[in-house]
Amino acid sequence: MPEELSSLFLSYYSKLIEKECILLSFERIFGGASRETYKIEVGHDVNKIERLILRVTQDSSLIETDQKTEYLAYSAYQDSSVPVPVLLDMSEDSDILGAPFMLMKELQGAAASPFTPNVYSPHEVELGEQFWSILGEIAKKEIQEDIFKSFLSELKEPCWKNELDKWAKVVHEDSIGVEPILEAGIRSLYKNPPKEPERITMVHGDYRSGNFLYLENQITGILDWEMAHLGNPLEDLAWALSPIWSWQDKERPAYLIEKEQAIEIWQNSSNINLDRKDLEWWELFAAIKGMAIWISAGNEFKSGKNIDPINLFSAWIPGDIHLEVILDFLEDRL
Amino acid sequence: MKPDINIALLNAAQEIINRFSPLIDDEYEKSRLSSWGAIILISAMKFNDSSSSLKQENADILDWLLKFTNLDEDDISEYGYEVTSEIQDISLMDTDNQILRGLLDRQIIVLEGNGDTEGLKASYTLMRAMHGRRKVSDLVGLLQQSES
Repeated sequence: MPEELSSLFLSYYSKLIEKECILLSFERIFGGASRETYKIEVGHDVNKIERLILRVTQDSSLIETDQKTEYLAYSAYQDSSVPVPVLLDMSEDSDILGAPFMLMKELQGAAASPFTPNVYSPHEVELGEQFWSILGEIAKKEIQEDIFKSFLSELKEPCWKNELDKWAKVVHEDSIGVEPILEAGIRSLYKNPPKEPERITMVHGDYRSGNFLYLENQITGILDWEMAHLGNPLEDLAWALSPIWSWQDKERPAYLIEKEQAIEIWQNSSNINLDRKDLEWWELFAAIKGMAIWISAGNEFKSGKNIDPINLFSAWIPGDIHLEVILDFLEDRL
Repeated sequence: MKPDINIALLNAAQEIINRFSPLIDDEYEKSRLSSWGAIILISAMKFNDSSSSLKQENADILDWLLKFTNLDEDDISEYGYEVTSEIQDISLMDTDNQILRGLLDRQIIVLEGNGDTEGLKASYTLMRAMHGRRKVSDLVGLLQQSES
């Protein structure tokens, strides 16, 4: 497949830029279960090298999302204070490369594993300030009207119910067995709903450690917007704060800075004064949403639809952690 | 005495991670193979206990159901679980486990409805013990060591 894909890509890209190109490298990046991501180097003219990122929809992906969703979300933040890659093209049909895809310029920087402690050392303070501030900027940004309207069809109010219904459905459709902890967590959320937000904002949907690029002490890009939607900005904040992303140092969410400091930076940057009780609801929701994703991964693996080890790993390790997070919440609330 | 299955798996994981993975140039394939090594490592660590843990879990749920709910042994048998059976086969124990977990879930709903804090507290203690025996997330540190 990669050889076939690389030749299809070369012919497509030469046509796109109307130049003869040569492919210098075409490598798949490991990780991520919703898209196949390729790092590409293309040469044309004299000594001109372009570094590109190609995101191709997988035959079997955990959470079915349109290529267009991700493209529109990236479009909403082009030339803004939220660093995102420059978009080059997008196709929703499979005629060109055999599957829908999106093409972007590669940004400098590296992404870390979200499960490695101290991975940002010695720059965790600078990166932490940027990480939480950029998340506030995502919530603050007024989204261009046509893009906002494209996302609006998916929005049903109240936001909390819209999201909880969606993820509870995934849990119940994909579960391999009965998990009483998870069921108790879902019931608790339905019984104690949060308030609706003062303003509906763009929600990244997977804003966390591991989904941004950094170069020493600078965040260079926010990635993986395929679950973007309109909703409550606390959803993103709670997901990023989830203890799963700093399991071996829970005081410093995302292995960056302390939780209270992170929240203060986010509030200043977003201009949103958060309600702690509502945040708590979204924090429990984050664990339920996580479980839905990990259960879905386990189902893909067990059914043989996608035996990428990342699917088994997701069902085992993050699945265990989020169950424990849910149990902690339930016990605290009793 | 032959070497145990978990020892075979441990050695296989080490060979994959330390010997074969470094031979691969393609970064994607290399990461994928290393992940398989990590998964085999986790499997090896949990292999010996899996049967006894499941047996214990079933016994613990049964005890809880008899102590904190109105169900008796006959009621539980009606759901397909044989209270007196001494099943050793892991797949049959797993089937029983799903029956018991389903009953546990339903009975927790009853306790929530009644506001029975003591019963709920006991159910959380039970579920924490169940989760503690099953979880593999405590091996994250070990995986990081094996990677480095």
